This record gives sequence, C-alpha cells and structure tokens, in this order.
Amino acid sequence: MASSTTSNVYIHVIEDVINKVRDEFNGGGGPGEGVLSELQGLWELKMMEAGAILGPIDRSASQKGAGGPITPNPVHDLNVPYEGTEEYETPTADLLFPPTPLQTPLPGTAQTPLPGMAQTPLPGTAQTPLTGSDSGSLYNIPTGGTPITPNEYVSPNDNVGVSEVKAGPGRPSPYMQPPSPWQNQRPPLDVNVAYVEGREESERGGPHQQTTQDFFVASGKRKRDNFPPQYQAGGYIPQQDGAGDNLSDEMKVVLDVIGQGGTSSSRIPQSDGPIPDPYDDVLSTPNIYNYQGGVVNEDYNIVNTPMPNEMLAATPAPVQNDVIDDDEDEPLNEDDDDDGDELDEGEDLNTTHLVLAQFDKVTRTKSRWKCTLKDGIMHINNKDILFNKATGEFDF
Amino acid sequence: MATFELYRRSTIGMCLTETLDQMVSGGILTPELAIQVLIQFDKSMTEALESEVKSKVSIKGHLHTYRFCDNVWTFILQNAQLKSEEGQETVDSVKIVACDSKLLTQ
Repeated sequence: MASSTTSNVYIHVIEDVINKVRDEFNGGGGPGEGVLSELQGLWELKMMEAGAILGPIDRSASQKGAGGPITPNPVHDLNVPYEGTEEYETPTADLLFPPTPLQTPLPGTAQTPLPGMAQTPLPGTAQTPLTGSDSGSLYNIPTGGTPITPNEYVSPNDNVGVSEVKAGPGRPSPYMQPPSPWQNQRPPLDVNVAYVEGREESERGGPHQQTTQDFFVASGKRKRDNFPPQYQAGGYIPQQDGAGDNLSDEMKVVLDVIGQGGTSSSRIPQSDGPIPDPYDDVLSTPNIYNYQGGVVNEDYNIVNTPMPNEMLAATPAPVQNDVIDDDEDEPLNEDDDDDGDELDEGEDLNTTHLVLAQFDKVTRTKSRWKCTLKDGIMHINNKDILFNKATGEFDF
Repeated sequence: MATFELYRRSTIGMCLTETLDQMVSGGILTPELAIQVLIQFDKSMTEALESEVKSKVSIKGHLHTYRFCDNVWTFILQNAQLKSEEGQETVDSVKIVACDSKLLTQ
C-alpha cells in the first residue's frame, strides 16, 4: 500500500532515473531504447505488485521528454502482462487453438489431459516475445500475470492444468469447448485400460483371482456390469492404471461401478465413507491394491506387506479407523505448519518495518535519546511513507 | 556527487534491483549498465526526497538496540508509534537505519 503522494514520488523517481540513463542505453554499445523501456516496464510492474505504485500510471502529463512516444509501451505491457491481449486478439491464436484438442487425443492417449495444456502454450509463448529481449519477458510472465491483472489475463501459457481451467471464462470459446469432449471420453478409456491390466494382474495372481477373470471374460461385453465382481474379488481396478492425473475420473468410475453393483454388503460401507483416503493410498502404493478392495481392515494393520487374498474379509470399521488416523495426522500437520508459518511471518514482519533515512543529529540524555532525521522512506505495516523530516524520541 | 546506497533497501529500490537482476541474468543488460542505473537511482531518490517530499514524521518508542558504525546509526525500536500526516502507525518493532546527512554535503 502506498499513499498517492508516495506513489507519485515513486513514479517521479522512476521517470527521472529512466530519463537520466537514457543516454547510456542509447549510446554506442548500449542496449537501446527497447531495453530501457523493458526496464521501466518491469520496474513499474514490480512496484504495482508490491502496492507501492497505485493503479495504472498516467503518463500523459508526466511524459514531456523526448522519450514520450516510446515509454507508454511498457506501461501497456504492465497492465496487460505481455501475451495477454495479443494472444486472443490475434487471429492466429484462434487458428491455433482449435486444432490442438483435435490432435491431442490421437497421439497421446496416455497423457490425454496434459498434451492439450502442453501444446497450447507453445503458440502463445511463441507469439509473446516482442523483441530480442525474449528471455526477460518470458522470465517475467509467471510473476507478472496473476496479481494485478483481471481474470481474463491470468497468464494462460505458463500455468498448467488447474489455472488453465480457471482462466477459462476469459478465453475464447473455440479453445474452451474442445477439451470437454475428450475429457468426457476419457473415463471409458480408463476403464478399458483397467480391464487389460486387471487381466494381467489376475494372470499373475493366485487362483482366486482367476475366478475374477472368469467373471468378466464370461460376460465380456458389458464392462461396467463386470466391474463389481472384479472389484470385489481383486479390488485392484482403479489403482493399476492410476496415473496421477486421472485420479478424479477413476474415482468417479469406481463410484459409479460401486453404486451399480452395490449389492454386496461388504462393498458399500467402504465406498460411502472413506473413499478418498483408501484410494489415494492404493494409488500411491502399488502393493496395497491386492487387498485394498476386499479386506479393508488389513489396510492399516499391515500396510507394507501384501496380503494373501484368502484373508480378505470386508469390514468397514477398519477403514474408518484408517480414515480417522489420517484425519488426526492432517490436523496435526496443519497446525504445525501454521505455527511455523506464523513464526516466520512474525519475524519477517518485524524485519520489514523499516525506516531508511539520513540523520542530522543524534543526542542522548541518560536513557532518553533524541534524533532528527531527514529524507526518509518508511515501510511500516506494508505501507510506504516518505518524509522530509522526522524526529525521534526513544527511551532506552 | 556522493550518494547513499541506503535507499536501495526500500520498496522501490528492491523492485529496481530485482528488475536489473532479471535483465542482467537474462543477458539483456550488462552488469556495468545495471550498476549505473542503480547509482542514478541513488541520486534520483535522494533528490526526490529533498525536493518532492514535504511531510514530517515523529517517531516514539522503546529503544531496544542502538548502534553507530561506519557513520550509520541503527536503532531498533519496540512498541513504536510513527505519526505522519497520513495517520499513525504502531508496530511491535521497527528498524531505523540512518546515514549521516553531512556526508552528502561534503
């Protein structure tokens, strides 16, 4: 935060510095006006991020110098973090976006969610660079994008996945629509994968798992119907194919499956209560999936050793205990983190209250100190306050 | 003209320093030119505080630590009140770093 006077002084200083180093930049061997503009742009951007400069800078009044026509550009760069407007104002972007989702499903079935994200940034970033100063602007994009700009500008290029989706509302429709279709297609694909791997798994596994295989081999066509039996016996469906990115979808599929085939009493309680945790565990530790589905109580007793499937007997209670344990762990961890953060923040705050000044005189009478300061910058409570003179009275 | 590097620790100075660091590490700017910019900032900031700023401030508090080293006073105040025309701020602790103003006029 800064008062308007502080902000104005800062703007004045920035312009003064820029104008006075212009000769060095434009002189022989200097990097030129463009780099100077970038310097000013970055500087002002950081100042606005820090809240030390208020709002957009009105350059019309202050820009009287020779650099007038040039300096406004960086200001625009600030407010519209670089690729922002260009990206979806230019027709090329629209041309580039639609093909991406169409192409993605074909090559990268395994990585389905990622390629779309990974490929889209490329055209955007390729367009972004304005001059030879690419690396600088690129470097700045991630920091610059988020804080100041409205949602529509949230740097779509560098942030993967989540923020990309969030940025959706501001994005052109051609880009937004494509992802949904192939996201919808994904669950069936996953089911197939789970199937194949399930077979492999059952082939490796003990005789009891063969029964599982028999189940769904027999009723081969309707995959979803097959799931419950398979799931009961082996319980390994979700985890096997479970790449991290597909978690949510798999979860949904499993839930659906459970809901449909929920006749077995053993299955139901698990699915209702503790779903997230056990599945996460299963996905994260491959050994567990053998007994995860069937015998829940063994999950927390013997986590590291695979269970013989004969011992599988479904009891909901252990899972709940498991969940409870997790719940207990999480609050503790959170509390610990909070405490640490608070301490750190406190220390930071203490050190960030800062007064930088020049002293004219410092005197002491016994334990009473008096000092006169001038030309100071105070950073107090995240506010910048400038002063021409200051008097201090301290008791030691 | 002598200058203080003191103000580089302020918000505006830190922002400039970070910017220059970025541009130098990105190969856009030479370190020598970056230093020139910083020196110009020292001058411009000092001049602006002299000519553009008129406000006065009073600071009170418990002096926890004082130090005078290399012509720089450092005070650490506790329970400090800082009154300016824009209002009063109270902080648990504040650090005051002050260079000798006479050094600039020499």
